[in-house]
Amino acid sequence: MIDKQGNVPLLLSTIPPNRSQRRLAGWVLAILVIALVVTAPFSRIRLAETAPLLLAYAAAVLFVEVLTAALLLSLFAIQKSRAVLVLSAGYLFSGLLVIPWALTFPGIFTAFGLDAGLQSTAAIAAVRRLSFPVFVLAYAALKDQEDLALWPRASIRTVIAAQVLLIAGLAAGLTWTIIQADQLPTFMVDARDVAPLWRYVPAAAIGLYLVGLVVLWLRRQSTLDLWLMIVLCTLVIEIALLSYLGGGARLSVGWWAGRLYGLASASMVLLVLLSETATLQARLARSIHSERLARESRLTAMEALSASIAHEISQPLASMVTNANAGLRWLDKEIPRIVEAQAALERVVRDGHRARDVVDGIRQLFRKGTQDRTSVDMNSLIKDVLRRSADEARFGRVSVESDLDPNLPLATGSPLQLQQVISNLVANAVDATSAVTGRPRIVRIITRLRASREILVSVEDSGPGIADTLKDRIFEPFFSTKPDGMGMGLMFSRSVVESHGGKLWVEDTVTSGAIFRFTLPCSDWTGASDTELRQ
Amino acid sequence: MTRDQSIVFIVDDDVYVREAIEDLFRSVGHDVQAFGTTDAFLQAPRVDLPGCLILDVRLPNTSGLEFQREQAESGFHLPTVFITGHGDIPMSVAAMKAGAIEFLTKPFRDQDLLDAVHRGIALDRRRRTELAILAGMKERYASLTSREREIMDLVVAGQINKQIAGELGLSEMTVKVHRAQVMRKMNAKSLPELVRIADHLSSATTRA
Repeated sequence: MIDKQGNVPLLLSTIPPNRSQRRLAGWVLAILVIALVVTAPFSRIRLAETAPLLLAYAAAVLFVEVLTAALLLSLFAIQKSRAVLVLSAGYLFSGLLVIPWALTFPGIFTAFGLDAGLQSTAAIAAVRRLSFPVFVLAYAALKDQEDLALWPRASIRTVIAAQVLLIAGLAAGLTWTIIQADQLPTFMVDARDVAPLWRYVPAAAIGLYLVGLVVLWLRRQSTLDLWLMIVLCTLVIEIALLSYLGGGARLSVGWWAGRLYGLASASMVLLVLLSETATLQARLARSIHSERLARESRLTAMEALSASIAHEISQPLASMVTNANAGLRWLDKEIPRIVEAQAALERVVRDGHRARDVVDGIRQLFRKGTQDRTSVDMNSLIKDVLRRSADEARFGRVSVESDLDPNLPLATGSPLQLQQVISNLVANAVDATSAVTGRPRIVRIITRLRASREILVSVEDSGPGIADTLKDRIFEPFFSTKPDGMGMGLMFSRSVVESHGGKLWVEDTVTSGAIFRFTLPCSDWTGASDTELRQ
Repeated sequence: MTRDQSIVFIVDDDVYVREAIEDLFRSVGHDVQAFGTTDAFLQAPRVDLPGCLILDVRLPNTSGLEFQREQAESGFHLPTVFITGHGDIPMSVAAMKAGAIEFLTKPFRDQDLLDAVHRGIALDRRRRTELAILAGMKERYASLTSREREIMDLVVAGQINKQIAGELGLSEMTVKVHRAQVMRKMNAKSLPELVRIADHLSSATTRA
């Protein structure tokens, strides 16, 4: 779901639901339960003449489920996740099976001679009921599998076409088999009432729904998962009304109510998916816009920097050239003025050294203040930084942990610069981690004393990690993987640490994410020998 | 020769650049005064000679461009040549619009700077000569009596003695006497010359 650059596609299947989505889902569920309670007492009343409405219902279900499948397929085309592909197959299969279900429903198409055997409709319904939760379970199981990110675009299209054909073929073949079969399980005693055997179908379905709910709950992370859970809840309620409260009798109040609630909530889910897709689209457009702005502002900053460097360098150059010219003019006189020319040449030499000083100064630009070195308690420095970055971490829903060695000796250096280094590393880690889904978002800061009398500070994150090809480049100036990054942070941090006599490097964690580590020499020997005693 | 004397002012916060330019102008025989800031330049007693100012754009406190603008508003007319370590087109346009002689980017060619400064000095000299002439005219005009000024205004406006006499209720003879007095005092040899002098005076007063 995340590529190596740490980009997360803003998709329903990848981003976690926000609070308002969770609240909406809760409301939908609550309304369904209330409706269930209200309808329950009347559910056994039969509404015999309502059979023709069945076609309208079937058309609506077909419409909603096929549309949902299409929406999921479009998600798949972007995200290339097997799980989403499987889920869309489930919706498509369920939607397509509604057609033979309605066509074979007893008493509806009798006039056209389409009335198949008594058991056909029930058999189709059973397949439909039981297959959907299986697809959902498959979705949940495949969710954390690697995406098919490497598939080229053309083959994605082929996959979609193949899946649609396969599912349509499966639905048609199944229907054909059921209609042609001589022996079908006896689900119905007559056109309206179920046989004892049918009892296993809703029981099995509810069992599957509940397993699906539990699995989704355990592995929940995206908006799509949230709404799938709502769908499963709805299906449980639907089955409860259809098969238990309605006594299993077709065309009873309970039977109809269950179907209509199911349809209403399925439409609701479809609407939510559609509106969320539109919202995400808008958000994407906005983020592209802001990225463009950030790039522009970075360019402006670079222009400002290069202007200031140009100014600094042209200053001694100007005086050098002017002095040399003056010297030439002194020599060019009728009686050459040697003393003045000599003075001018001496100034040229001085300017040359000055130009070198300017170049050195630019290199030192990011090492300003290194002279003011004092004893620094790295632990309290880290605590300071963490206190200040707490808000950002909360915003990115990242939990920041620290594991600080209480007996850490002091370091020597510029507290301001070292603080800057830590806050750079922590900010990078929080940025990298806040994009993560599917695993805990953790940033951990550890201080240790090494046997070599060096303080070791590690900043670990559970982010996407850093691609091997980028490991060296991230320390280069103006290189950044962040859209609003100046590409200065790591370069600055490394030069600060090195000017303090330490080292800064990056490692991969065993599982995922990156570890930035740096070392600093201890300021006093007593601290070091203390630790030696401890070891 | 007093007539050929001139002075070059340099304002640059970089002491080395300042020194170098100072020496360059000395080597071609100019008098130079160099300052680190515009304030120091303003506070120093000014030699009353035709001159030109070499002004760095980037200065502490007020930038060269701001200084030029402020001074232009308060009627300061020293021709200015800008030098800058990093110049862009909008910057140079702004400077030229505000009346700069030249806008040079460091490191510049010495001849460019010398030429620009010489142009500035020539301009300042011409302006000073004009100012001196105008000051003389003003002085002479001030020596006129109020009656003579009245008559001068009417003469310049194209009225003949008879009309002036009628308007002011004087005899034509009296007007003639006053008129001769005006011509003498204003050092005008002919009527057109008097008209030109009056023109100068009035345009100088409207400008101020």
